[in-house]
Amino acid sequence: MSALAAHGGTVAALSNYVFPNDWHVHWSLMIVLYPYITGIVAGAFIVSSLYHVFGIKQLEPISRYSLIFALAFLACATWPLLLHLGHPERSYSMLITPNPTSAMAGFGFIYSAYFILLVHEILFIYRPTMVTLWKQSTGFKRWLYGFLAFNNDNLSPEAIRLDHRIISFLAGIGIPMACILHGYVGFIFGGIKANPLWATPLMPLIFLLSACVSGIAGIIFSYILIKKFTGQEIDVDCVRTSIKFLWGFFILDFVFEMLEVFTHFYMNTHHWHVLENLLWGPLYNTYWLYQVKIFSVIPFIVLGVLSLFKFKDRVILFFAPIVSFMILIQVLLMRWNVVVGGQLMSHSTRGQVTFVPEWLGREGILVAIFIMIAPVVILFILSKIFPLWVNKEAANEQPIT
Amino acid sequence: MHSESKTKYYSHLVKLIIAMIVLGVAGFFARQLFSPESMGEYGHYRGADIEDQKNVPVRLQTNESCFQCHKPVRRIHKKGVHKSVSCEVCHGPYADHVKDGKKIGMLPVKKGKEITHLCLRCHNKVIQARPRTSIKMVGMPEHLQEKKVRIENTCDQCHMVHDPLLWINQAKEMIGIKEEM
Repeated sequence: MSALAAHGGTVAALSNYVFPNDWHVHWSLMIVLYPYITGIVAGAFIVSSLYHVFGIKQLEPISRYSLIFALAFLACATWPLLLHLGHPERSYSMLITPNPTSAMAGFGFIYSAYFILLVHEILFIYRPTMVTLWKQSTGFKRWLYGFLAFNNDNLSPEAIRLDHRIISFLAGIGIPMACILHGYVGFIFGGIKANPLWATPLMPLIFLLSACVSGIAGIIFSYILIKKFTGQEIDVDCVRTSIKFLWGFFILDFVFEMLEVFTHFYMNTHHWHVLENLLWGPLYNTYWLYQVKIFSVIPFIVLGVLSLFKFKDRVILFFAPIVSFMILIQVLLMRWNVVVGGQLMSHSTRGQVTFVPEWLGREGILVAIFIMIAPVVILFILSKIFPLWVNKEAANEQPIT
Repeated sequence: MHSESKTKYYSHLVKLIIAMIVLGVAGFFARQLFSPESMGEYGHYRGADIEDQKNVPVRLQTNESCFQCHKPVRRIHKKGVHKSVSCEVCHGPYADHVKDGKKIGMLPVKKGKEITHLCLRCHNKVIQARPRTSIKMVGMPEHLQEKKVRIENTCDQCHMVHDPLLWINQAKEMIGIKEEM
C-alpha cells in the first residue's frame, strides 16, 4: 500500500489529523467551472452595458458581440451543476416547488430570470438587424428571422424609440441582475460558516470583481482572435479602452483578494492558523506561485504599462491577447483555490488533504474541457444567426444616455 | 421600408406581453400538474416520501442476528478485541445471506491477499485519522519484517480474525512469555 488512500477516482494524501469525513473533495472540478462560467457571463454583460448604458462609445464594436458571448456561456452555465448532481431530470423540481429558505435553490430562479432578460435584451437590440435579414432571406431562415423580429417589420422612428425604451429598461435591471447572479455565487461560498476560507463577507465582492475581470478578458481575447482568424480589421481603440477597464477592475479584484488574506493574517484568529497551513501547504503552488506571482503580478504590471503609456497598435495587439489569456487563467486558478482549496483542510483544524482530479468520469478533466469548448461552439452557431459585429450602415442603435 | 410596414409600431411588444401571460398561465397549470401530491404535507418535502423511506428494505442487521445461528463464532468474537466490530464490516450485508429467516446465499469468503487488504482497511498506518491508542496500526511489510515472518504471509496466518490476539496469547502462554503484546 502506498501512502495514498484512493477514494472514488480521486486521490487524497493525508497529513496530520484528518477526520474520515473530510477525506473526499465533494465539490470538485465541476464546481470550479460553475462560478468560472457564470463569472464570464456576468463580466461580458458588463462590457456590453458599458456601451449600452454608460455610453462608452469606444466599446461599440464589441457591444453586441459581448451580449452573444454572454448568452453562449450562459447556455452552458448549468451543465457543470447538472453533471455534478446527476439526475438532470429532477432539476425542474427546484422551479416547481420553490423553497424560499434554500440558498442553493435560489440559483434556479436567479439563473432563469437572468436568462430570460438576456435573451430579450438581445432580441430588442437586434430587432432592426433581424428585420433586415428577414426581408432578405428565404425559406427556413426567413421564418426564423421573422420569429426573432417578433413578426414586426415596423422600423419607424416611434418603433425604434419604443425599442430603445425597452432596451434601457432591460439594461437597467440587467446590470444589478448580472451583479446578483455572480454576487450570489460568491454568497453561496461566503455563507458557509464552517469553512474559514469561504466564510467572509468579502467573498461575494471578490467573486463579482473577478467575474468582471474574466468577462472583459474573455471578450478581449476572443475578439482579437476571431478578428485575426477571419482576417477582419481590429478596432485598436476599442481594445485600448477594454484594456483600461480590465486594468481598473483587476486592480480592485487583486487588491481585495490580497486584503482578504491579509485581514485573516492580521486578525490572527485560530482560523488564520488553519489557513496558513493550507495556503503554505497543499495550496502553495496553485495559490502563491501560479495565481498570485505568475498570473496576477505579471498581468497587473503589463496591464498598467499598456494603460498608462502610448504604444504602437502592433504592441497592443501582441500583448492584449496574451495578458487577457493570463487573466482568464488567473480567475480559473482563483476558482480552483477557493472551491477545491476550501475542502483541502479538515475540520479538525490540523490536517490537510491533497486533491488530484480524475481524467475520465462525470466530473473529470475531459468533461471539463468539453464544457469549456461547448460555449465556443454555441457562439459559432449563434454567430450564424446574429451578426456579431456592428454593421456601420445598418446600425441605428445608440447608447442610452 | 419603414413606411411599408403594415404592422403597428408596438405590435411586437403586445405579442411579447401576450406570450408572457400565456407562458405564465401555462406555468401555473404545469406546477399544479407536476407538483407531487403530498408536497408540503409536513414540511418542504414530499409527504409520501416518509412512506417510501419506511418501505426501503433493511439490509443491515446487528451482530446478534448473526450469532443466532453462528454459535461457535459468537463465543470467540464476543471475548476478543474485535468484539465491537460488526460482522457485516468484513462479511457483507445480512440481507444477501438471509431472507425471512431462510438462507438465500453465501457471503463471499475472503482468501489470501484479500484478507490482508481487508485488515488494512482499518489497521493501515497511513490512515492518519485513526486513534492510535485504541486500534493497533501497522505498516506493511514492516510489520512482517519486524515479527520475523515470511513477507508473503497473510494476516490470518498469525491472527485469528475474530479474536486477533487469541493464538498469539496462547502461543505466548505455551512458551512462557509474560510480556504484553
